[in-house]
Amino acid sequence: MTALGTEAPPVVPRRARRRGRVTRTTLRVLGIVLLAIPLLAAVVGPFFAPSTAAGGIPLQGPSSDHVLGTDVLGRDLLGLLLQGGTTVVTLTAAALLLAYAVAMPIGLIVAARGRIVETITIGLLDVLLALPSLLVLMVLAATGRRSVVWLVLAVAFVQLPYVVRLVRGAAAAPACLSALETMTMTGEPWWRVRIVETGRRVLPPTIVDATTRVSGVVGLLSSANFLGVGLDPLVVDWAVVVDQNMTALFLSPSVVLLPAGLLVALCAGTNLLVDDLLERRS
Amino acid sequence: MTTRAGVRIGFALLQLVAVSVGVFVLTTFLPGDTAEVVLGPLATVEQIDILRTQLGLDRPVWERFLDWAGGLAHGDLGTSIATGRPVVEDMGDRLSVTVLLAVLAVVVLVPLAVALGCWGGRRPGSPADRIITATTTVAQAVPDFALGLLLVALFALQLGWLPATAAGTVGLSGLTVAMLVLPVAILVSNQLSRLARQVRIGVVETDAAEHVVHLRRLGLDERTVVLRHVLPGGVVPSVQQFARTVDGLLGGVIVVEALFALPGIGSGFVQAVQTRDLPVVQGYALLFALTTVVVNLAADLVSAKLVPQAVRL
Repeated sequence: MTALGTEAPPVVPRRARRRGRVTRTTLRVLGIVLLAIPLLAAVVGPFFAPSTAAGGIPLQGPSSDHVLGTDVLGRDLLGLLLQGGTTVVTLTAAALLLAYAVAMPIGLIVAARGRIVETITIGLLDVLLALPSLLVLMVLAATGRRSVVWLVLAVAFVQLPYVVRLVRGAAAAPACLSALETMTMTGEPWWRVRIVETGRRVLPPTIVDATTRVSGVVGLLSSANFLGVGLDPLVVDWAVVVDQNMTALFLSPSVVLLPAGLLVALCAGTNLLVDDLLERRS
Repeated sequence: MTTRAGVRIGFALLQLVAVSVGVFVLTTFLPGDTAEVVLGPLATVEQIDILRTQLGLDRPVWERFLDWAGGLAHGDLGTSIATGRPVVEDMGDRLSVTVLLAVLAVVVLVPLAVALGCWGGRRPGSPADRIITATTTVAQAVPDFALGLLLVALFALQLGWLPATAAGTVGLSGLTVAMLVLPVAILVSNQLSRLARQVRIGVVETDAAEHVVHLRRLGLDERTVVLRHVLPGGVVPSVQQFARTVDGLLGGVIVVEALFALPGIGSGFVQAVQTRDLPVVQGYALLFALTTVVVNLAADLVSAKLVPQAVRL
């Protein structure tokens, strides 16, 4: 209890704050390590991966032929782990790129064209929000549309409402507007001012936002693959491998837990680093 | 306020109409005939024709839509192709399990999020704060099914404390508390981060606010300050986040029920997708959309009531 008139003590004492910094560094290193493992496997792995042809003896233990053993279809587990990340990383990147490539212009135009366009567009996008993302993918799968193209389109589509809102918000920020007023007064055409110049200014926060969506997109894609509504079962992908080997969870847990663990590490590492990045920016 | 609320409710109704049209279009118009999709690539032309007549697919699209929408208005969602039972009946059986899961998840989630958010928010930047934020962030980032598998491996396989699956149960009969522990834990862990973070931000702000600093100077004891003045300020902005949480729970329920073979609407939906039972898929999609729209509407109305100036309906 403090007496009337004395200053309240600082909320966090200095020593605690220093320990806070140490914790932060530790978490950052942990994030880097967690992200590096699956990312290396996904990017470099395919060049070193042993063949994943099916038809070997299923669920073998580790041996000289199969360093980590085989899965229910008799495929080499190490090969699956080293090859299965490529789809995860490429599809995530493709879906995010597509989403931002479409949402950036929409957001900028909406911000530039005033209230009526804004109300209508945001209203339409809010209608989209009424469907949980996974549901859109499942309805598509139920109607026989389950190629890679549909998957990327659908994942990008469900990101739209959020990204358009973000771009619109960033473009309307006062700092942005006052800087551009001069350009308008010197007679530059509106699209140069409101699309090109504003777009350049909006890019950094948009990229930061994109990093916060990575783990969400990985989660959505892999959940779809796990539920059997995503990629074709013939494709080697961590989540598809998990789904195919679920029946072997008790017989040989590593077949399920290793690919699942790589997905966990990818998402956890990304988010730890993104959190760090966000804190540094604020 | 009343007109704004009216407009907001009108918008929700519009959303519902748009979503039902969307679901119908998605399952009807896009390439691929429903009858062909249902029967698969091995079906003969005659078989496809018979099913098409049976499903009424030979009639014009607008007639089918009016039929379907008319049924909707009466609470009739058609009959399942796979079982021949009315879709509504099937849903009713499964709804109890999902509602139980969702209610349990919310009952655990909200106090936990408030406690963690408050704990961290009163010590911003401290190790405790950072560890809470990092742990909940990681738990949220990890895909539900992957986290679920790791937990099953630990608690069912290694320790043998909890059952790995609820397979074999129908409706609520046969479900035990132990079967629900892991599913609820996964649902909670996935939503905890966003809610706790929102509470934390609110608490950090209120904790430094002038009136709270003044109350401390007046010598009010810390417990009263936190419980009566800091917490309410921190919780109010979280109402919106809570709506999104419920939304996320719905998505989570699909995965969790499939993973643990719980007989709820999530696993029913997955089954319908796998057997390409379109009337059931349409019904479940509408149910999910309806829940989302209603929850968001409720959150908007509640926060408009709590902080009238902050919310533009």
